[in-house]
Amino acid sequence: MFGEEELVKIHKDRATLISYIITAAFGLVLARLWYLQVYKGETLHNYSIQNRLRKEVVWAPRGLIYSRDDQLLVDNIPRFDAILTPQFLIDKEETLNKLSGILSLERASIDGVLKKNSNQAKYRPIIIKKNISFGELAQIESQNAELPGVSVDTFISREYRDKEVGAHLLGYISEISQIQLPKLRERDRLDYRLGDFIGQFGIEEQLDRYLRGENGHEFVEVDARGRRKRYINTDNLFKGIEDEKPLSGMNVKLTIDRDMQIAAYEALEGRVGGVIALDVESGQVLAMVSRPSFDPSQFSRGLSPDYWRSLVNNKEHPLRDRNIQEHFSPGSTFKAITGIAAFENGAIDERTEVNCGGSFRLGSRVYHCWKKEGHGATSLVKAIRESCNVYFQKAAFRMDIDEIAKYAKAFGMGARTGISLPREVSGLIPTKDWKRKRFGQEWQPGETLSCSIGQSYVLSSTIQLATAYAAIANGGKIFRPYVVKDVYDDQGELVKTFHPELLSKIEMKNPKTLQLVREGLFQVMNNPKGTAFARRGPGIMMAGKTGTSQVKTASADKVYQKCDLMDYESRHHGLFVGFAPYDNPKIATAVIIEHGCSGSGAAAPVAEKVVTQYMKKYQPEMYLENLEKDKLIKDNWVKTLKAEVPKAKPTATE
Amino acid sequence: MNQTILQFLKRYDFSFLGSMSAIFLVGVLNLYSATHSQQHEGLDSLYKSQMIWFGISLSVAVAISFLNPKTIERFSYVAYIGTLFLIFLVLLMGKVGMGAQRWLVIGPLRMQPSEFMKMGLVLALARYFTKVYPERELGFKELIFPGIITMVPAVMVIVQPDLGTGMLLLFIFAMMIFYKRLKWKTIMTLGIISLVSGVLMYNFGLKEYQRKRIHTFIDPYEDAKGSGYNAIQSEIAIGSGRLFGKGFKNSSQASLNYLPENHTDFVFAIFNEEHGFFGSVFLVILYIVFFMRMVWLASSVQRFYDSVLVVGIMSIFFWHTFINMSMVSGLLPIVGIPLPLMSYGGSSMLTFGVGVGIATSISNTRNFFN
Repeated sequence: MFGEEELVKIHKDRATLISYIITAAFGLVLARLWYLQVYKGETLHNYSIQNRLRKEVVWAPRGLIYSRDDQLLVDNIPRFDAILTPQFLIDKEETLNKLSGILSLERASIDGVLKKNSNQAKYRPIIIKKNISFGELAQIESQNAELPGVSVDTFISREYRDKEVGAHLLGYISEISQIQLPKLRERDRLDYRLGDFIGQFGIEEQLDRYLRGENGHEFVEVDARGRRKRYINTDNLFKGIEDEKPLSGMNVKLTIDRDMQIAAYEALEGRVGGVIALDVESGQVLAMVSRPSFDPSQFSRGLSPDYWRSLVNNKEHPLRDRNIQEHFSPGSTFKAITGIAAFENGAIDERTEVNCGGSFRLGSRVYHCWKKEGHGATSLVKAIRESCNVYFQKAAFRMDIDEIAKYAKAFGMGARTGISLPREVSGLIPTKDWKRKRFGQEWQPGETLSCSIGQSYVLSSTIQLATAYAAIANGGKIFRPYVVKDVYDDQGELVKTFHPELLSKIEMKNPKTLQLVREGLFQVMNNPKGTAFARRGPGIMMAGKTGTSQVKTASADKVYQKCDLMDYESRHHGLFVGFAPYDNPKIATAVIIEHGCSGSGAAAPVAEKVVTQYMKKYQPEMYLENLEKDKLIKDNWVKTLKAEVPKAKPTATE
Repeated sequence: MNQTILQFLKRYDFSFLGSMSAIFLVGVLNLYSATHSQQHEGLDSLYKSQMIWFGISLSVAVAISFLNPKTIERFSYVAYIGTLFLIFLVLLMGKVGMGAQRWLVIGPLRMQPSEFMKMGLVLALARYFTKVYPERELGFKELIFPGIITMVPAVMVIVQPDLGTGMLLLFIFAMMIFYKRLKWKTIMTLGIISLVSGVLMYNFGLKEYQRKRIHTFIDPYEDAKGSGYNAIQSEIAIGSGRLFGKGFKNSSQASLNYLPENHTDFVFAIFNEEHGFFGSVFLVILYIVFFMRMVWLASSVQRFYDSVLVVGIMSIFFWHTFINMSMVSGLLPIVGIPLPLMSYGGSSMLTFGVGVGIATSISNTRNFFN
């Protein structure tokens, strides 16, 4: 038998072995720790940072848009969305029920939103409700702890101060859709992301690269449930990680006048149409309004499907800009061009008098003048004043279509003006070549007659007509219309100024051409026989031309009388193009009123209102002078009228 | 009188109590750091109850240190049967926590009897090995009875189910028979048997979640957001501490709740994150000093029972420490084994106090009666 002490002794070897085992075991642990902390330390440290750092986009404030007189047109305001990150939901039922209470949303509609987004990754936040109120915001923030997975997304919404006024010009921004994404990336070579906002229409689209700015990002510390930590640990978590401040978008100053926009918008009340006003000596667009319109703010707030449907299904196409995205037969407003062509060509001169017997026969076809009994002996001035079809048809017959087209094109028609706005249409000025290419047919002389009075193939937009009439007013200078005056950075420093762009100067062979055309246009409004005499406004001394654009082909005189009785869809478009003041032209304007029946009745009043607004605001002295001149002119035509009455009608000679 | 007190203090072995206190101090600071930011989960005051438990455990340790080891020896089987009874009670009426039946609630006290079972087993085995052929090397025949003593509570714990603690009982048994001179031949055979039975157990004996833990251990990234999550986050916590750590109270993994259970099983990961490799070396050395002192004591006593008992006690804490550190750092699959004195938990602390008390008592006997 062993003694107790001996028993202990014989086990001493094993005790030593156990101490080796202990040493080896902890050696292993320390080796593992060395591996993790030193060998893989840097990597795992980065993991721990990525764990708790979330890179959040800091939206760049989009540039503001001002009018020419420094009035704010487009602003940014903060907006809040309630969002939910499925990954961090703990008790889904409870959270959703609470949320439904706070946001006063049906549970079913929340479930619907979640279901719609159920195919995306769980860590991606889903917007439950856009544009929540401050009350809802406060509730979500204060109940943060009981609403795991729910948070509030803040960003800046685009606010259009005058809502529908000038919406087509200003445009809108909206989120890049799944379909657009690849196309836009290709187009701009920029790394757009889904949900980025981009200008999709008007100025917002055209100047997107100035307005957009550059989004920044910041790193925020979040816990395992994705909740943003309020107190950031004091260690060097953010060392070596740079936040990037967003670069504000640039502010833009337009050539547009806000008061004229509003006047134009109001003048178009109840109408379908557009009005544009240009500065005669620069091509600056002073006003540009189209109706029906839409509220662009709706797009940046996340368009509701109902609103979108109401826009798309509206037969009057509220999304289409009547000034640059639509073209019409210019009708009689084109006669000024035909007149210029004939005069310059030598087909007529100032002594030419054409006898209008109410119609013009070519072969078997009779072309009616709008006045059945005819205008009698007609000069260029009278022909313009009274819009005599026969005069211009006879003048055109002495030339050919190519000659008219040459002048029309010189005045900027039949081609895009190149205004820096998207989706401008080109209009059409037909030529013999064009017809051959287009239809494989020879040009018919009768077509020349139709085209000479702005019907048939001729198509123009109001912006082209205004540009052409501005050239008539300024002596033949064609300016490219433009809407952006200056671009400023967010500090107010001028970055870029847009200057008038003189595209061409039409040299007139005959110095009297424009003078007589202008005289004719003046008399349209300031002579009792003028077609728009009733629309002469006080103090504006406007010269202009009315026109009707046939919607359905029918001889003009037959349908003219009955226009108001026709179905709306078949009524003529009413046009008016003009400039003012006659003796010192400052502003040119063009108006289209769809199915407005007549230029003088529907379109001219709109022009009058816009021009009056301009004169009062920008040329107040001239306006007062004009009021005086109006009296002289009135005396003058009263005298002429009296003198003319006893006289017999002059016999018509050609 | 003063002389006597001085004599007493000179001969009293403070090393175990000292080690315990040192590790506890590190532990409680770490616990505070890991939980201080978790107010909303109500965990931020855990360190206070941990301190109370330490006070109790230290008192128990001091009290036991004045017992004569012979008295302890006498009560060995009683302790074993008593703790076994508690385990039995748990199976009958225990409180379910985390999908397993582990807790016994008596009045305000929540106990984890499987913690005490370890001590009961060690006492019973020490008693048995010193009474029956203490001088013999162990072979299979000699393992039958101690094997039964071990397997009964082990099986009962495993069916709770608490595989970790059940395995731990087997590991404790293994280290004690190794000390009790298990034949090398038998060791080899047993090794082969346990390997085979391990494979069989994996295929037929494990619950789905336990099997998942093993899968997760082999490749935690296979299911990084699910069952591999803890393992990955734990490694991230450790690794991100690098050499010097992020500093006290700076664990982001804990304060941002990336690492769950950071006050219990994963305290060591948080410690590593905050104090880095050098901090861990310091902590590991504290543990090694404690264990080595125990091993030294086992060879320095006069009574064989004391020697076996000290090895048994040491093995309880050694396995806890080693398994916890290994699982947290990805060397072993994650099983719910706490780190002694560092993890939050009263039962575990109390067991430690009992162990330290017994060790001190044995050490003191050596000094006082020589």
